[in-house]
Amino acid sequence: MNADHSRTKKTGRMSPTDNELMEAVRDGRVEKLAVLFERYQTMLYNFFLRLTGNRAASEDLVQEVFVRVLKYRAGYLGDSRFNVWLFQIARNAHIDHLRKQKPALSLDEQFAEAPSHEPRPEAAYENDREAELVRRALDRLPVQKREILVLFRFQNLKLREIAELMGVQVGTVKAQVHRALKDLSRIYLELQGGDVS
Amino acid sequence: MTCEKTQEKFADYLTGDLDETGRGEVRKHILDCAACREDLEDLTVVWAKLGVLPEEQPGSAVRSRFYAMLEDYKAVQPSRPKSQWTDWFTFRRPAFAASFSAALLLLGIGAGWLMTGGGQGGPRYASLSREVQDMRQQVALSLLSKPSASDRIQGVSYSTEVKNPSDTTLAALFKAVDSDPNPNVRLAAVDALYLFRDRPGVHESLVKSLSVQSYPLVQVALIDFLVEVRETRAVEALKKLIEAGELTPEVKKRAEQGLKQITL
Repeated sequence: MNADHSRTKKTGRMSPTDNELMEAVRDGRVEKLAVLFERYQTMLYNFFLRLTGNRAASEDLVQEVFVRVLKYRAGYLGDSRFNVWLFQIARNAHIDHLRKQKPALSLDEQFAEAPSHEPRPEAAYENDREAELVRRALDRLPVQKREILVLFRFQNLKLREIAELMGVQVGTVKAQVHRALKDLSRIYLELQGGDVS
Repeated sequence: MTCEKTQEKFADYLTGDLDETGRGEVRKHILDCAACREDLEDLTVVWAKLGVLPEEQPGSAVRSRFYAMLEDYKAVQPSRPKSQWTDWFTFRRPAFAASFSAALLLLGIGAGWLMTGGGQGGPRYASLSREVQDMRQQVALSLLSKPSASDRIQGVSYSTEVKNPSDTTLAALFKAVDSDPNPNVRLAAVDALYLFRDRPGVHESLVKSLSVQSYPLVQVALIDFLVEVRETRAVEALKKLIEAGELTPEVKKRAEQGLKQITL
């Protein structure tokens, strides 16, 4: 699903790249946002779904991202990859979502919490115990670790792109991915052994 | 290599982004280090397990809400806001940077031309320019007839660089809009034709195309085009489309809005 939508002008006078489309949106051709929406809606939805575990909230968040893209379109410089810019907006939308949900808790406390799980429609996973275990293990990771794993494993962002997104060094991201995977492995094994319900 | 240095490479090792030298270093280290070997085995297992999570599709309401939001936004914005003239004087805009470089280059060429007693070569320059235009046109036509969709999109792109395309080139673009099997080519051809919207036959061709398109993005692009040029001949075609009841809710809504906009 995560095709590289950012072919440069040099390599392809093909379908417009994400950057070309976003520059058009910035310059007033807002209808071009429809193409970016079609390219990214599923990716963003799954990003939010894996962070929140809540389908309705994830759909709202996808909408919120595109509202913000229009709101901040004038600030798009086009000198970094579009997907990094888009996921910066997505991360901020998610943080604001957490703030609204738990106003009494500090952001750090919210980040430490597991997602509030709606009764998950079982259809997608119920016949797949392994997928269910992995999902539960992922949900038990603190949000920061889950977020970095989701970006790296499912959104196919490169380490340097995640570093740019989070404003940290690449080495820091490598260490965080390593720790998150180790924690996930431990939680998965615990769940598999039935030690944690 | 130390355990710390080795573990730094694990993330790239898992995604396959580590080069052969790096992979060799990791393999060499884990041969002698049981802890790192076990660590990497665990990570590899959990990495693979994450792959079993299926990707889900958002509900159709997401698309409806997005298109409604976009329409609302467009309704309150001027259709093509003119940029401030001062915006052009900033190097943040690649277009300005490129134009500025091109202007400097032209200035240099012009100066050299005048200094060498130029001024006689006007017709020759015009002839050269025509040749370049003809060449682009031929390349565009050739690419538009290729079996590969990416070639055909490239052909569409070439056609946009032709200042005054021939009727043959326009006909190739009409054909691409109507019958290219790839929707991205059709979409690119609609965009290209916007540049030639003042040429006779363009509006009529795109009005006709409305009745043969079934891909929502192309339908929306056609509707946007016809609304933008206020093509009243599209009214009947839009009404028929809406009545036929085969449009997605988003396209139907866009067609209804377009109908209102054209007849305003």
